[in-house]
Amino acid sequence: MTDISMHLNTDEIELWAQGLLPAARAMHLADCSLCRVEAERERKVILELVQLPKFAPRAGFADRVMAQVKVPTPSGDWTA
Amino acid sequence: MFSLLYRMVRDRALAEDLAQETFIKVLNGIKSYRPEFKFSSWIFKIANNAAIDHLRRKSIDTLSLDGAPSAETPEQMRATSLQLGDRTESPLDEVENRELGTAIERAIARLRPEYRSCILLRHVEGYSYEEIADTLELPLGTVKTYIHRARNELRGYLEDRRD
Repeated sequence: MTDISMHLNTDEIELWAQGLLPAARAMHLADCSLCRVEAERERKVILELVQLPKFAPRAGFADRVMAQVKVPTPSGDWTA
Repeated sequence: MFSLLYRMVRDRALAEDLAQETFIKVLNGIKSYRPEFKFSSWIFKIANNAAIDHLRRKSIDTLSLDGAPSAETPEQMRATSLQLGDRTESPLDEVENRELGTAIERAIARLRPEYRSCILLRHVEGYSYEEIADTLELPLGTVKTYIHRARNELRGYLEDRRD
């Protein structure tokens, strides 16, 4: 059981940033300006990270890969 | 997986080569896949190993900006130093600068490769700490430490930029 007066640890700050912090700990956050400042700084970084775009390789990537993969033939041999 | 590789090596063509190498290893080695392991984690593990191996090789091969280690005189240092100003930017460089030129991307690039893998798997790929530990074959405590340190460093870089 976590003491309500204890400052939030980094795992709890991450939970808070995800909206998953248990109510008892959220009460501490509401009362503690130190934790609020720390949590807000952490949330900004997490938000920037989760908003990063996904990148894709150029068109034809799958064909280039499959051209080099060995595929079993009906005779049981492997061919590239 | 391509996003992870690209952010690890920050070179589109090289990231494609490593992604290709990863998929070929996966498809040719499919018989060695263990079903108790998440398939995507297995792919990420092979991709991450390829990126880390590349970065290690690169750090060994990298010439100093001040010239080769064997250079003793100013002339030898000049002759063996890298001339960054001579590099002409190709269209691919422009794409890379646009894609990876934001403050957060540059901050990620400054992290140690081990921290970079962990933070990207956690916050970009959405892996749990346990999945990252399985994927990278690291103790759970180490993964947590790396992620917390990575976030602290990122905060530092980003706050320095804003000051």
